[in-house]
Amino acid sequence: MDLRFFEIYRRSDYLWTLLEGALFSIGLTICAAIIGFAFALALSGVRFAQVPYIRNVATCYVEFIRNTPLIVQLFFVAFGLPLLLGYQWPFWAHALLALVLNFSAYFSEILRAGYGTVSTGQREAAAALGMGNLLIFFKIILPQAIAKMYPSLASQFIFLFLTTGVISEIGVNDLTQAGKFIDSRTFRTFEVFFTLTVLYIGISLTFKIILAGLQQRLFAWQVAR
Amino acid sequence: MKDLFVAVLGAPEGVVLFQLIVATQYTIYLSLIAFIGGGIVAAGITILRIIPNKPARFLAQSYIWFFQSAPLLMLLFLFGLGVPRLLGFEVNIWIAASLALTLYSSAYLAEVWRGAIQSLPDGQWEGAEALGLRFFQTLKLVILPQALRVSLAPTVGFMVQIIKGTSLAYIIGFSDLMSIGKRWANAPVEGTEPFIIYPLMALIYFALCFPLSRLAIRLEKKLGTVAKTPPVAA
Repeated sequence: MDLRFFEIYRRSDYLWTLLEGALFSIGLTICAAIIGFAFALALSGVRFAQVPYIRNVATCYVEFIRNTPLIVQLFFVAFGLPLLLGYQWPFWAHALLALVLNFSAYFSEILRAGYGTVSTGQREAAAALGMGNLLIFFKIILPQAIAKMYPSLASQFIFLFLTTGVISEIGVNDLTQAGKFIDSRTFRTFEVFFTLTVLYIGISLTFKIILAGLQQRLFAWQVAR
Repeated sequence: MKDLFVAVLGAPEGVVLFQLIVATQYTIYLSLIAFIGGGIVAAGITILRIIPNKPARFLAQSYIWFFQSAPLLMLLFLFGLGVPRLLGFEVNIWIAASLALTLYSSAYLAEVWRGAIQSLPDGQWEGAEALGLRFFQTLKLVILPQALRVSLAPTVGFMVQIIKGTSLAYIIGFSDLMSIGKRWANAPVEGTEPFIIYPLMALIYFALCFPLSRLAIRLEKKLGTVAKTPPVAA
């Protein structure tokens, strides 16, 4: 047993590969989270408003995504859908779509729990002031729900980031793929994946700090109380 | 059995479905190993985490932190490919996959169980002490019966994550539902296109996971849950 980390660290091109992979993973996860959050708003919104039929479709979708592995969803989106519908996208677009679909289900479930924490008295008071349903949702319920659920959303985001390594399976040049590439050159498998583990943990800690700082800024009105 | 599938669905569909269902049993076995193994390790870690001994608590805390922060995929790579190459011998694929998933689930379960135990009011410990119970007696007679109730729902819910997590084991060569399904999806056989196979696999995973999810929700309504349950995905 001999650990030879230097075989990775002494090569600047390997370090660049890792950096590029890490930046790609971070960027793609953030994009997927933002688009996924928008989807989640729509999904949880139609369930909250009890829109007939669409609500049931949204529920089925969320349950199905949450009860199947990401990797199966990814392969379906990357290999099944393009063949079925006859389109061709770059790998990263497939990965992005799969992550968006996956994230939206998890976020929407948290948001839904958040809507439940806003007391009905507030809704009634807003209605008594003559606010319409949409206005009540966007002005009264949603801000409070997001503020309340922010810690859950943030930790779910970080958790989802840790699962994004599977997108390397469809050939996207993310952090995991960078590791696989270096592994195939150096055969220092343990060292490479240990480095990757440390990088993933480091990035998620950085996310944690940034998201906590963001909470102070965004929801100062809530923290102050 | 296989003939029945072929007779009803015809070739290749019958063969494919039969093979997928056969492969599903390995997904279930691996999930059970990870759950039981993870549970045993988690029990030890939970106790270390709450005993009045600072180094032990720190050790348990670090363990939970590391294995909750490390991606499951990396654990699989480390134990399935990294360690064997580092030590220069072959590791059985079952052992590697079980080890990675056990470590992964033990950290989560330990965190949930610790949360459940620490959610109980201090008065429970103090009362037991006043009655002259020792640490392990208090744990066994007073704390665990109450903590088990609230931790049941998240524990069952986590089984879903374990089942979904096993789908990654194919990456280190473990032969389960995911691996067999992927092989069929790549095979140039009519009727096994990716848009047929992957939804079929998703349905099988769904059939395994959804009942557990529902059960977890029902238990949560009936018995309550741990206030701060860590997030899960995969």
